[in-house]
Order: sequence, then C-alpha cells, then structure tokens
Amino acid sequence: MEMPNLSLALPELLLVLGAMALLMLGAFRKDDATRTVSLLSVALLGFVALMVWGLGGERATTFGGMFVIDGFARFAKVLILAASALAITMSVGWLEREKLSRFEYPLLMLFATLGMMMMVSANDFIALYVGLELQSLSLYVLAAYQRDSVKATEAGLKYFVLGALASGMLLYGASLIYGFAGTTGFTQLSQVFHAAHGQPHAGVIIGVVFVLAGLAFKVGAVPFHMWTPDVYEGSPTPVTAFFSAAPKIAALALLTRVMLGPFGELFAQWQQIVILISIASMVLGAFAAINQTNIKRLMAYSSIGNVGYALIGVAAGSEEGVRGLLIYLAIYLFMTVGTFAVILSMRQKGRLLEGIDDLAGLSRSQPMMALALAIFMFSLAGIPPLAGFFGKFYIFLAAVNGGLFTLAVLGVLTSVVSAYYYLRIVKVMYFDDPVESFDRPVSRALGLIMAGSAAVVVLLTIVPAPLVAGAQEAAKSLFPTG
Amino acid sequence: MVYIAIVFLPLLGAIVAGLFGRWVGDRGAQILTTSLIGVSAMLSVPVFIKIALGGGTAVVPLMHWISSGTFDVSWALKIDTLTAVMLIVVNWVSFMVHVYSIGYMHHDTSIARFQSYLSLFTFFMLMLVTSDNLVQLFFGWEGVGLASYLLIGFWYEKPSANAAAIKAFVVNRVGDFGFALGIFGVYYLFDSVQFDVIFAAGPEKADAVVTFFGTDWHALTIISLLLFVGAMGKSAQLGLHTWLPDAMEGPTPVSALIHAATMVTAGVFMVARMSPLFEYSETALTVVTIVGASTAIFAATVGCVQNDIKRIIAYSTCSQLGYMFFAIGVSAYEAAIFHLMTHAFFKALLFLGAGSVIHAMSDEQDIRRMGGIWRHIKWTYALMLVGSVALAGIPPFAGFYSKHMILEAAYASQGAAGTYAFWMGTLAAFLTAFYSTRLLVLTFHGKPRANEHVMAHVHESPMVMIGPLVVLAVGAVLAGLVAKGWFIGDFREAFWGDAIVVLAGHDTIEAAHHLPGWVGMLGTTVAVAGIGTGVLLYVFAPGVPGLLASLFGPIYRFFLNKWYFDELYGMLFVKPAFALGRGLWKSGDGAVIDGIGPDGVASASRDIARRLGRMQTGYLYHYAFAMLIGVASFVTWFIIRMG
Amino acid sequence: MIPAIMFYVFAALAVAGGVMVISARNPVHSVLFLIMVFFNAAGLFLLLGAEFLAMVLVIVYVGAVAVLFLFVVMMLDINFLKFREGFLQYLPIGALVGLVLLVELVMVFGSWAFAPEIAAGLAAPTPDAQTMNNTEALGRVLYTQYLYLFQAAGVILLVAMIGTILLTLRQRPGVRKQVVADQLARSAKDTLEVRKIPSGGGI
Repeated sequence: MEMPNLSLALPELLLVLGAMALLMLGAFRKDDATRTVSLLSVALLGFVALMVWGLGGERATTFGGMFVIDGFARFAKVLILAASALAITMSVGWLEREKLSRFEYPLLMLFATLGMMMMVSANDFIALYVGLELQSLSLYVLAAYQRDSVKATEAGLKYFVLGALASGMLLYGASLIYGFAGTTGFTQLSQVFHAAHGQPHAGVIIGVVFVLAGLAFKVGAVPFHMWTPDVYEGSPTPVTAFFSAAPKIAALALLTRVMLGPFGELFAQWQQIVILISIASMVLGAFAAINQTNIKRLMAYSSIGNVGYALIGVAAGSEEGVRGLLIYLAIYLFMTVGTFAVILSMRQKGRLLEGIDDLAGLSRSQPMMALALAIFMFSLAGIPPLAGFFGKFYIFLAAVNGGLFTLAVLGVLTSVVSAYYYLRIVKVMYFDDPVESFDRPVSRALGLIMAGSAAVVVLLTIVPAPLVAGAQEAAKSLFPTG
Repeated sequence: MVYIAIVFLPLLGAIVAGLFGRWVGDRGAQILTTSLIGVSAMLSVPVFIKIALGGGTAVVPLMHWISSGTFDVSWALKIDTLTAVMLIVVNWVSFMVHVYSIGYMHHDTSIARFQSYLSLFTFFMLMLVTSDNLVQLFFGWEGVGLASYLLIGFWYEKPSANAAAIKAFVVNRVGDFGFALGIFGVYYLFDSVQFDVIFAAGPEKADAVVTFFGTDWHALTIISLLLFVGAMGKSAQLGLHTWLPDAMEGPTPVSALIHAATMVTAGVFMVARMSPLFEYSETALTVVTIVGASTAIFAATVGCVQNDIKRIIAYSTCSQLGYMFFAIGVSAYEAAIFHLMTHAFFKALLFLGAGSVIHAMSDEQDIRRMGGIWRHIKWTYALMLVGSVALAGIPPFAGFYSKHMILEAAYASQGAAGTYAFWMGTLAAFLTAFYSTRLLVLTFHGKPRANEHVMAHVHESPMVMIGPLVVLAVGAVLAGLVAKGWFIGDFREAFWGDAIVVLAGHDTIEAAHHLPGWVGMLGTTVAVAGIGTGVLLYVFAPGVPGLLASLFGPIYRFFLNKWYFDELYGMLFVKPAFALGRGLWKSGDGAVIDGIGPDGVASASRDIARRLGRMQTGYLYHYAFAMLIGVASFVTWFIIRMG
Repeated sequence: MIPAIMFYVFAALAVAGGVMVISARNPVHSVLFLIMVFFNAAGLFLLLGAEFLAMVLVIVYVGAVAVLFLFVVMMLDINFLKFREGFLQYLPIGALVGLVLLVELVMVFGSWAFAPEIAAGLAAPTPDAQTMNNTEALGRVLYTQYLYLFQAAGVILLVAMIGTILLTLRQRPGVRKQVVADQLARSAKDTLEVRKIPSGGGI
C-alpha cells in the first residue's frame, strides 16, 4: 500500500485543518468570537478557492482511486466556495442583529462546504456517501439553528427525517449496485458496464433508480422536492440563502458525475427518468410558485424549477449539456445570492419581513435595491438580454442538439409561466403604492453583495466568453475520450 | 472611436444619472445627460457626411460575445448609410427631447430618474441601429422595449399608467416572439446571424424551402413574415397596435421621442435593413403592403374622432407608420426611410407642441375643453401649425416630399396590393389633413371652452421648451426639400450604396418618376381638400360635425371606439381569463391579468397553482409518502419497460 | 445444515422484530423489539464469519444507542398514541406501495447473478480466516486503503458533536457550577480567619 498523494487533496486538507483551528479559536476565546471566526472563514474559503484554481484541471485520482480531481470538480468547487463565502458574509450582520451570534455558525458552513467539495470529488460510492452525509448533517443543524423558533426547529426536523430517508434510498441503491457489479469505485463500475455493453442486470437498473432518487432529494427535484418549501421558509433567512446556492451546485455536480461517469454506459436506461424528473420539476416550479405570498417560499419553488432546467443538461448527456449545466449553475448562483441579499435587507423596525407585498413601492424608497432585485427577477425569468437568458439558452441549445425537442419546448413554456411570478415582484416594487419603507441604511456587506451580483449578472451578458470557455473545458473532462 | 463615442456616451449619461442621481442632483443630471446626448448628436453629423455622402461602410468590432458551435456573435458597430440616417434622427430628436424635458418636467420629483431613462433608451436605440448582426439588434430591440416600459409607467402612481406599461410590454412580447422565431429561422437557414453573411447568401437561398406539417414552404417567406410580426409589434401595425394609444399615459417628451420619432420606427428600420431577404419573397412584400395600407387608413379614421390631443397624434403616428410599411411593401425602401426621417421631425414637433399646450392648459388634454388660446401662446401655435402642415403634406414642407413619393411608388408598383395601398393611402392623406385641421381649430381657435381659472393661467412655455421646437420646426420645413435629392432623387444610388437592396424589376422609385401628372397632383389636392373640409366644418359650421356624428351614429361610434379592437381582444382573451379567475384575484392585480390574459393561461395557471399548493400539507409522512411513491413508480416503470 | 437452520431462525426473528417495532403500541416495547432485531442481526454477522462486526453491533447499538433510545422514550413524556393517529388511514396506500416494491424486487432478485468476472478482481478480498482474524483484517485496510473514509467519518462525528452542543447547550445565568481548579486553588488563608474570642463575649 503506497502513501496516498495528499497534494491532490490539499485544498480539502487545508479547509478541514483551518476549520478545526477556528473551532479552537472560538472555543477558547472568552468574548464572542463570531465576527472574527466568520471573517477568517471567508478568508479561508477564498484562499482555498485560489488553491483549487491553482491545482489545475488535470485529471488525477488519489486515496486508492476514491478521490478524483479534474476540470469539472475544479469548476464546481470554485462555485461552491464562492457561494459559501458569500453566504457567510451575508450572515454576519443577521447574527448580530438577531442576537444569535454563535461562532459555530460559520464553522458549520465550513464543514458543509468541505462535505460538498468531497461530494464533487467523489470517485467511489462510499466516498460519495461520506461527503454527502458530512454536508447534510451540517445543513440539518443549520436549518434548526434558530432553536427557539418553532418554525426553524420544525424545518430542521423535517429536513433531517426526510434526508435520512433519502440517504437510506441512496445507500440501498448503492448496495444493490455493489451486489450486482461487485465494486463501488466509479472507474471500475464504468468498466463493468462497458463490458456489459450497456445491458446490465435489471438489479443494477433498480439500484440506479434508488441512487437517482436519493440524489434527486438532495437537489430538490420533483417528486422528492417536498421538503424544499417548508425548509426554505422555516430556516433562518441567511441559512436559506446558503441552501439555495452551494448545496444545489454540489448536489447537481455530484448527480452529473454519477450519472455520466459510472452510469454513462447506461445512459439509454436512465435518460427517461431524468427527463421525467426534469419536466415535473419545471412544471411544478412554475405553477406552484404563482400563489405564494412569502418570498422565501417563492424562491423555494423557483429553485425547484431551476433544478428542472439544470437537469435538462444532464438529460442531454452530452458535453454540450454539461457545459450548459455549469453555465446555468454559475449564473444561478449570482442571481439567487443577490436576491437573498435583498431579502435579508427587508427589515422594518428591526424585524425581518418575508412577504412579497412588503416590497410594494420599493422603487421609491430604495431605488437601488429595487433596481438590483428587478435585474435578478428579469434574469431569473430568462428575459434577454440578462445573464439568466444565456443560462437557459445554452441549456436549451444542448437539448435541441440532443434531439430532446419536447424538453426544450416544455422548458420554454414553463419559463413563460414562471416569468409571470418573477415579473409580479417587479410590478409590486415599481407600480404598487408604497407601504412603510425598510430600515436604512442597508448593511454595507449586503449592499456590496447586491451590487456585485447585479453587476455580474449584467456583465455576464456582455462578456460571457470566459465563463463559457471555462465551462467548456470543465465539461470536456467528464468525457475523456471525446 | 467616434462611432463608439456616439453609441456609448448616452449610456454613460444614463448610468451616472441613474445610479448617482442623488449625488449629482437633478440639475446636474439634466445638464450631464443633455450635454452627452448633445455631443453624440454633433458627432453624428460628420459621420453622416463621411458615410452617407462620402459613400462607404464602417465596421467597428467591440468584443466577442457568444460562441457555440457555428453560432458565433460578436459585439460590433456597423455604420452604413441607413445607420447614418438613423443616427442623425435618433440623436437629434433625443437631444431636443432632453432639452425640452428640462422645462417640461421641472415640477416632477424624480427628474434624475427620468433623464436617466431617456438616455438609456437612446443608448439602446443606437445599439439597435448600429448592430451588425441580428442578435445584437435583438438586444437593442428588447432594450428599447424595456426603456419604453419604464417610461410609460414613469408616473407609476397612476393606475392607468401601470396598465398601459404592462399592456405595451405584453403586446410587444407577442411581436418579439415572432421576431425571435425569425432570428432562429435565419440561423437555421444561413447558419449565421451576421448581416454581411446573410445578405451575401440571400440570392442563393432565394428558392430554399423548409418542410413542416408535411408541406414545403418557401423559407425566405416564412422568415420574412416572422420578422415582420416583430416589426408589427414594435411599430404598432394593425392587430398589434393597441398598446400605442395607451402608451400616451407616459410623459409627453416620452411620447415624442419613443412613440413618434424613434422606437416605433424601429420596425421600419429593421425591415429596411433586411431588405435583401424581403426582396426575394413576393408574398411577404404583399402582406407588408396590405397590413401597412390597412393600418394607414384604420388609424386615420380613428384619429378623426378622438378628443384627447395626444391620442389624436398617436393615431396619426400609427397611420404614418402604415405609410412607411406599404412603401416597403412596394420596394420603395428609400421612400420609407425618407418618410421615417421627415416624420420624426414633424411628429416630434407636434408632440412637443402638444406638450407645450398641455403645459399651458394646466394639464388639460381634451381638445373639447380648449379653444381660443392662440393669442396667448403664439409661438406654440405657429410651431404646431408648421408641424400640422408638414404632416398634411402641403408643399414645400417636409411631409409633402416623402408622402407623395410613397403614394407615387405605390401607384407605380402596378400590382393589386400596390393599387389598394395607393387608394387607401390617398384617402388616408385626405383624413390626415382633415384631422390635423380639426386638431388645430379646436385647440387654438373659436371661443375658449376651458373654465376661467384655467384660462387665466394660460402662458407661453419657457425658452428651454420653445427652443427645441424651433429646431424641429426647421427640420420639418427644410428636411424634405434639402434631402430629397439624396434619399429619393438623382443621387440616391450613390447615397444608399449597399445599405438597401432592390431587385431589378422592383425599382418603383424610378418608375414613380415617370407617372402621369394627375397621380402627383392627387395627393396635394386631397390634402388641400382635407384642410378645406376641416376649416369648413369646424370654423364656419361648427354645428355640422355634431350633426354628422348623430346622423352616422354607428360609423361614428365605430371610429370613436377604435374599431372595437380593445373590446374584441377583451372579449376573446381577457374576459374568459377574468371570468375564470374572478374572486381569486385582488383588485389591484387586475392590471396584471389584463396583460397576462391575452395568452389565456393566467387563470388556469392559478388553478393548478392552488392544487399544487394543497399538496404541500406540511405533514412529514405525506412528504415521505410522496418520495416512496415516486421511487416505486420509477421502479415499476422500468420493470414494465423491460418486460 | 445447522448454519442454514440458524440463518433462517435469525432472519425470521429479525423480520418479526422489525414488524413489532413499528406495530407495538407501547414505545418502550418498540425499543425492546429493536434490541431484539440488533441481536439477531449480530447473529447473522456471526454466521458470515464477521465476528468483529457482530460484537460492535451488540456493544454499540444495543449497549449505547438502544439504551439511549430507552432513556429518551421514558424521559420525554410524549403521548405516542397521538402520533399514530394517521397510521391506519395511510396503511392501505403504504401497504400497496410496499407490496408493489416487494413484488418487483423479488422479480429482479429471482435471477441474481453476482458478476462472476468481478469476484476475482475485488479490491480487497476477504482474507482467509485461518491466517488472519477478522478484526486484524479490518484493521489492515481501515488505516490504509480506507484512510480517506476513516478521516472523513471522523469529521462527520465532529460535526455531530458541534451540532448537538449548538442545539442543546444553554448557558443560563445564575447557575452554580463546580470549578475544580478554583476549589483546589483556594488556600486556607483566603477563607479561614482565626479569631480569638473571649469567653462569654460576642464577636
């Protein structure tokens, strides 16, 4: 047994060591260390992101083939790290205002991020499961963070129980696959299925279905989405902001890797399932959101719909599809983080508001905030020329080139329906009579995140080339031969 | 560099005024945006001289944009004669409107925001006219739509302004859908969206067909018609015109800039730009002719019986756009653009003049409550007179040259559609002269019908408002006389260069120069007759119009209610949606459903939404059940599929 | 023969215990049945020759987890009957879904085939029980081949610890706690004062 090549996992090692060091710092400081720990966490995440980027996108495995780095993992990790850093930044002010400062909060986010990085780098079912559980466990705790709020504890409990059920399904599927194929390693599985000429035993297919169900729960796709609205609404808002970005990216990246890697040879078998899930998610995301009056719940349904779009990229099963997916995720990250920055600024007399009606007349009292939210909404609705349009464009392009016309047409139709509720927010902000205005000033961190995300959404419209090129390169690494 | 400056200076102004309005202040925002547009306007003159008069085309690549397989789009500015003309029109009218707004909006509370929107609009419009590919054009196209939405709804405290903004947005989306499909079609057929590539490949694809629904269709006809649907939405042609009159809810300078001079002519510009494709489809050209001519006569009839000063001018705009389109339909693109330019000057003049009247009359817009004010606002009166005469087409004012060229070209094109267009256009010319006269007489002459309180306040507008009017009036007087040689006269071939393509047999402008004399005389004759009728009815026999209205009651009401288009759409699309959705909506959201209703899904969506909402019970075991059923059904599906 | 009989006994008891866990009316009984399931599962492990796993199951699950459950159930005075109200209502659907899944899985497993060519190339074949006992074999791979997973599992436990403390630890003001260091640091000098008191007089 040779020594594993630790240098490949250097970012993860640094993250875990840094998190433990910060844990010590928090535990032994006499006064409240939340702010210090948060800032250091953000710095740590930034540094790790640089390191991930610096490691390059050459495919390599370590730890006995259980851990893989490649262009795909690199791209996804950078997005995840950025999302986590933004989420921690957004939380600090909230923690202090709500008098909920606990230094464990940023640390749990760090550990969740570590779990996500392990997920996207997993090259073995056990590694996948361990990463997934590390992430999930941290998220369960975060969901219930506001432990004196009934809603938050209920959200945490629901998430935990259903998450355990989903994990059970995933494990059951993985054990079936192990039983029929004799291995849990992705590389070996791919070889086994290649040898079977894409016609494996029925038990393997059942296993794949169970694995897919477990992963679909993690991304929040229909019919495994039911937790999403309740958890989004019940959890503390900065936690929801975190949920809506980083874990989605990680789970989708993981799903993509699993489906196109070890199960790539079984494409013909699982493609229809992914198509079904994708359609159901798009339709539900579009229609169920219409009646919502709580903006966090609305964003939950929006995230379900967006996962549906992203899954089109998986269903296409091509390099182009994965590229579309990665572009979509990158753009979605900034749209959703920006939107949540606005939601976190909806504070009136010190109380955080969540109603869509509370936004009425925002264009008058806080024109800049209204403009930013309008940009995010227009972009989420996919109205050209904003970045969200390009995300959808590349996804639909892949679907059409993959011959999935039905999926593309349904995607366009549901995005028309969903445009309705996104634009309703714009309408409320710009055309309704103002209600009482929000507290001023908006905290500097939130303002910066809002402005920065809006700038990115607009800039990606004008210069999408670097993003497209990066996603192209990342997608290529999942299809080594061609 | 000059080109880039022309396009991006307005954007700079918009950004600074919009984002930093609080720091630069209202006055600062006004000065900044106006002077930046001013610089753009000045710069476009040498560009016009160099490109249009000197001949040639300039392409300025900016940066790479989208690249995916063979789909490759870059940001680039393409300046040819067509663009140079549009640059002059857009920049100068915009400049004048900016200056005018300083005076007009001085009571308003959000001046910086207004100036920012105006500049933003100008930027998108410049982007639209300077683009060198369809996607960038679409970018500008959507951008002007957005700016127009923001500006129509500028006074958002008025519910009618909200409704109008949303109506404009939604109706335009219908058109944009056609346009987007047209772009897809172009890409499908030519594998490119670059103008140069498409136009070069146009002749060889002239006979290409596409097959769907089991039938072969002429590809260029399909594409041209789809693009034309987009143009119809933006240029308010019959069927998709309903938003334009409502858009008058916006501030008057906006109506002048967007809904008269520039944005609504974007459709005309786009079709003229795509002339190398339209030329190969007789069917598409015929459709364009018929729609244009029908719009011209429809809007003119409605314009005759409206009472809101801005709506009269709005319907007039609609009618004149119809002229431009049927000119295009008979392949007289040059005449269409010529009319576009002259129209921009005199229609902006009329709108801004109307704004000056409204300003003077303490925000009164109904001409039945005006009258007898010409003594008090002599400048405005004189300038409105110039604008109206130019609109009516009396020589030697600008409208005369362009409108007559269009009518003659229609006559010269021979075909049935051309003949229809000629007679409808002539009739519309008569009505145009008539309603222009009616407007002038009712507004300025006769006994004052406003109350004393208003009359006591009637005052001439400040110089900052009159000044732009004078500049536009000079344009309205001279533009036709000066430019006719280049646009439609002897120098036109050198002037237009490659910007417009007309097939050999289609040159109606040349043919129009050799027509029997009566054709040329007819237009002027009906214009004079129209003015005469107007003077007769409203000055000498003011009782007659009312008599006529009651005598021909049904026809009058038909015109007054705009041919019942809004009611028809209401009945077909909005009512059913309302009936289903009633009780579910709060009253405040009515405006939205009004807009969303046209595609008929609003209420159905809400119903589905409620059902889905009920599924979300909040019970943990329900959720767990849903997951289990989901996984079980997937497995079952596989078992069944594998047999 | 005997191992086969043992297998069916353990397996049947485990399944029966599982049914009782969810159907017992008294939650304490449920936990006790759960313990029974654990014991039978340990028996199955033993039959497979995995004595280490069998012992771990007994020690950890029976000795710690199940006992913890018992404490929780007894200390939290929850009306479990109320929880079960919806049970019968959903029983038919649940049974149907379960049945469908069961039939399908039986159909699939009817033709079980452990990919033969794989068995030879397994990453870590179970070593011969004669040469190396089970515990040692696990130990050999746990810290080498599965180092990554072992460490990651450690991090998960750390997160579980942090989470528990975060969600349950409450620092209330005014609670007196024993601080041993403080107690040890005190010397007689600080606390004791010897005074001479004249007999018959007060202080």
